[in-house]
Amino acid sequence: MTFRRIYILWGLTAIFLLGLLLYPILPGVNLQPYWVLVGMTALFYAILASSWALLAGYTGQFSFAHMAFMGLGTYTAGILIRDTGIAPWMGTVAGVLMTGIVGLLIGYLCLRLRSTYLALFTIAFAEIFRLVVKAEVKITGGPNGLELPPYQRPEALERLLKAIFPYWDANPYVPAYYYMALLFFLSLLFMFFLVRSRFGLFFRAVREDEEAAAALGVHVVNTRVLAFVVSSMIAGFAGIVFHHFIGLIVPDQMQIVRMSLVIAMAVIGGSQNLIGAAIGAIFIHFALELLQEIRMPLAVLENLLFLENWGFSVDLQAGVLRTNAWRMVAFGILLMVTLRFAQNGLISPILDWLARKEAAEEVAKRFRAQREMDRVDDVEAVEETTTASTVTEGD
Amino acid sequence: MSRNGVLELEIRNVVKNFGGLQALKGVSLTIRGSQLVGLIGPNGAGKTTLTNIITGLLKPTSGEVWFNGERIDTLRPYHIARRGIGRTFQVTRAFRRMTVLENMLTPGIVKHPYMSRAELEKKAMEIMKFLTIDHLRFERAGSLSGGQQKLLELARLLMLDPDLIILDEPFAGVHPKLQRTIYNYIKRVREQGKAIILISHDMESIFTLSERLVVLNFGEIIADGPPEEVKNDPAVIEAYLGRDEEEEEDLRQAY
Amino acid sequence: MEWLIAEACGSFPYLLRLILEGLLIGVIYSLMALGLTLIFSVLNIVSFSHGEFYMIGGYVVYTVLHHFKQVPGLVAVFLAAVVTFLIGAVFERLFLQPMAKGQVDRPNEYAILVTFGLAFVLQFVMLGLMGPFPKKVPRFFSFPEIDLGFLRTTRTTLFLGKIPLPGSRIFAAIIALIALGAMLYFMYRTWTGWALQAVSQDRNAAAVVGINPLNMNTLAFALGGMLAGLAGAVLVSVFSWVPWVGVPASAKSFVIIVLGGMGSIPGSLVGGLILGVVESLGTGCWPNPATAQAYRDVFGLVIFALVLLVKPTGLFGRKL
Repeated sequence: MTFRRIYILWGLTAIFLLGLLLYPILPGVNLQPYWVLVGMTALFYAILASSWALLAGYTGQFSFAHMAFMGLGTYTAGILIRDTGIAPWMGTVAGVLMTGIVGLLIGYLCLRLRSTYLALFTIAFAEIFRLVVKAEVKITGGPNGLELPPYQRPEALERLLKAIFPYWDANPYVPAYYYMALLFFLSLLFMFFLVRSRFGLFFRAVREDEEAAAALGVHVVNTRVLAFVVSSMIAGFAGIVFHHFIGLIVPDQMQIVRMSLVIAMAVIGGSQNLIGAAIGAIFIHFALELLQEIRMPLAVLENLLFLENWGFSVDLQAGVLRTNAWRMVAFGILLMVTLRFAQNGLISPILDWLARKEAAEEVAKRFRAQREMDRVDDVEAVEETTTASTVTEGD
Repeated sequence: MSRNGVLELEIRNVVKNFGGLQALKGVSLTIRGSQLVGLIGPNGAGKTTLTNIITGLLKPTSGEVWFNGERIDTLRPYHIARRGIGRTFQVTRAFRRMTVLENMLTPGIVKHPYMSRAELEKKAMEIMKFLTIDHLRFERAGSLSGGQQKLLELARLLMLDPDLIILDEPFAGVHPKLQRTIYNYIKRVREQGKAIILISHDMESIFTLSERLVVLNFGEIIADGPPEEVKNDPAVIEAYLGRDEEEEEDLRQAY
Repeated sequence: MEWLIAEACGSFPYLLRLILEGLLIGVIYSLMALGLTLIFSVLNIVSFSHGEFYMIGGYVVYTVLHHFKQVPGLVAVFLAAVVTFLIGAVFERLFLQPMAKGQVDRPNEYAILVTFGLAFVLQFVMLGLMGPFPKKVPRFFSFPEIDLGFLRTTRTTLFLGKIPLPGSRIFAAIIALIALGAMLYFMYRTWTGWALQAVSQDRNAAAVVGINPLNMNTLAFALGGMLAGLAGAVLVSVFSWVPWVGVPASAKSFVIIVLGGMGSIPGSLVGGLILGVVESLGTGCWPNPATAQAYRDVFGLVIFALVLLVKPTGLFGRKL
C-alpha cells in the first residue's frame, strides 16, 4: 500500500489543530481584536453546532431551544453573580446545573412522545423564554442586556500561558480566544467519548427503531433525555463562558434566527458527525463575516446603486457592497439544498471517506488477531475465518 | 426466574379494543416452566396483538399479565425486556444504519452493563457464528439480505438472554436452508431451558416443534393442548383448518 | 391571592370584554391552526414555516396598500392569499414531493428541518426586502355609524352595551370567519375536499380510486400556507409587522394543534378559541401591566405543557 487516505486525514487534523493554536497571529488576523473575536465566536458556534448535532444526528430528536438553553444558563449565572455576589466560576456551575434541570423537565415532558413534539415544544419555549427575559427588565436587564463580570484567572496559569504565547496580552480577546478553544476541544472530546460509549450505541439504536430498541431492553425515554440534557448543558456551558468574556448578554442572542443559523451550520457540516458539524460552523461563521462586505471597484459599485432598494447597502466611500440579510438567505438556501441532496452534509462525507476504509481495516485487524487466539481451541473455525476475512478485506 | 426457579407467564382475562373493534375478548393463558408453545390462528385472530400486550407495546383495555410473580402489563416495554421476555418482529427490525456487531452489542450491554467490551464481543461472535452471520459483522445491517436480517434479529435476542422468547413468524419468507438454521436455533434455545412462544403460519413446522398448541380465533382461545389433540379438535378444524375446504365445497356446489 | 390578579379583573364587564376580545382573536388563531391541521392530516408533517406564511401574508397587504393607496383592503387580502398559496405550492413541489415519492432518507427528520429551513430563508428574504423596522398598516376599513341602542358603532370601534371592541379586530375576525366557512365548505362539500380527506385517511385507498395523492399533497400544503397567509393579512392592521412576527405565531398554532389534537379539524377550531380566550384573560388579569403583553404567550406554553402532561393526544386527537 503506497498511499493511504488516513494520512490525508491526519495531515488535515494537524493543520486544523495548528491553525486553531496559532489563529490569533496568522497573517490577516494579526492580533486585530475584531478578527480574534470573530475566531472566538466561530468556536462558540462550533460548540453549539456540534452539541446540537449530538442530539439531532445521534438520536434523531430536534431541539429548537438550544440557543434558549445557552441563554438560560448565562442569565442564571449572571443574575446569581449580580445578586448574591458569588464567584463567577460558581455562577457558571449553577448556570450549567440550571440548564440541566430545565432540560430534564422538558425532556421528560416531550421525549415520551414522537420526535415532532420536542421540536414543537422547544420552538415555543425558546421564543417565549426570550420574550419574558426581554420583558422582565428589573430582573434580567431587559433588551439592554445583562452584564457579566470577567473570570478571575489564576495568576500562575496566566504567567505560564504568557510564557507560551508571548502575545497573550496583546488584547483582551486573545486569552478569551484560547479559553474558548480549550472549551471547544474539551467539549468535542467529551462528546466524542460519549458517542463511542455504550450510550452512543443506545442513542443510535433508539433513533433507528424505537420499538425494537425497547424490546431489547434499551430505556428509550432515559436515553433520549440523556442526550437532550447533555446537549443542552454543553450549550449552556459554552454560552456562560463566552458571555463572561464578552461581558454582556442580550436577549436577542436567543432569537430563533440564531438557532436557525446553528442548525444550518450543523446540517451543512453534517449532523451525523460531531466534527463535521463543528467544522461546518467554523466555515460558515467565517464565510458570513467575509460576505458581509464585498469589496469592489467604484465603477462597478456605482452601477449597483439600485440594490439599495433591495436591502443591500452600497458604501461608495469605503468601496464595499454590504450584503446584510442576503448572505443569510444564501445560507438558508444552501441549508435546504443540502438537506434535499446531501442529507449527511457537505463536510462529514469527506471525513467519512478519508477515515472509513482505514477504520474498517483497523477493526478487522483486531478481530483477526482475536480469531488467531480463538483458533487454538476452535479448530473448525479456521476455514470460516479465512473466508470471513476475505469478505472484510473485499469491501 | 420466580422464587421456585420455574418460569411463569400468566395472562389473565386480557381484553383489547381498538376503537369499536374487539381484538382480544378475554384471553387467559398460563405458561409454566420451559415449554415451546405454538400460537396459531387465522389472520386477524389477535396473535400479534397478544404479543404486543405481553411485551408492553400495547396496554390491555382490561385484564392483567403476570410474569414470575410480578404484574407486567403496567410496565414499559424496556422494563419487560429486562425482566426476561424477548421477542422478534413479524417484519424484521434491525438497526439498519448500525453494523451487525453493534446490533448485537446493544442488548448485550443492556443485559451485562459491567461486562467488558471484549467479552461481549466474544459472546456476540459465538452467537453469530452459530447463526452463520459472523462474517457480516462489520456490514451495516441495512445492507443485509432479508434472511440475514432475520438471523441477526434472532442472534441479537440471545444477547439479551431472555427466559421467554416470542418468535413472531420466524419462517415467513425464509428459504429452506435458513429454515434449517432457525430450527437449530430453536432447538438450542430450548436446550438452554428457555420457554418459547412460536407464532407461525407454517403448520408443518409448528406441529413438529410445539409441545403445546394454543389456537386463537377472533380474539378468543378456542383450543389449548398437545398438538395431536388440537389437530383433531372439531372447533379448530372448523375455525381454522377447515375453512378453506368449506369454501371450496361451497364453490364446488355453486358450479 | 389578590396580588396575583389585577384589580380590574373583578368587574364583570371587564371580564366579558376580555372574553369577547379573546374570541375575536381566537377565530384568527383557529384559521391559522386549521391550515396547519390540513397540512398535518394530508402530508403527515408539521410545517415549521407556518408562521412565515403568516408573516408574508401581512407583508403582501402592507406592500400593496403602501404602493397603491386606492386599492381596497379586501383586494390586498386576496392577493396575500394568492401569493402565500403559490409559495406553498412551489415549495411543496420542490422539497416535499421528493419525500412523498420516497426519494429522501429519514423523512420525518427531513420534514422538520426542511420546513424550518424554509422559515429561515423566508425570514431573511423579507428582512432584505422590507428592512428590520416595524411596519404598520393603517386601518383599511371603517364602520358605518350605527346606533341601535344596545349595539352602537363609531368609525373605529363597536360598542356592545358599554363594552368597546376595536373595529380592526372585528373586521379581521369577520374575514377570518368567512375564510373559515369557505374552507370548511370546501373540505366537506366539494369533490376536491373529499379527495383531500380521503388522502388523509388512507393514501393507498385514495390512489386506487383515482385521486393523485401527490397533487393533493401540493394542494393541502398550499392551502395550509394560504390560511396562515390570510391570518397574517387580516392581522397586519392590528399589530406592527417585523420579519420575525411569524415565530410567536407559529408557536401559537403549535399550541393549538396539540391542544385540539394533531390532525383534528374541530380540534383546531375549538383550540384556537380556547387559546384566544385564555391569553386574553391571562393578559388582562396580569398584575403588572408593563409585562402583561410579554406573558401573553406564556399562557400558551403552559397549556402546551399541561396537554403534554395530561393528555398528549389533545382534545379530539387521533392516535399519533
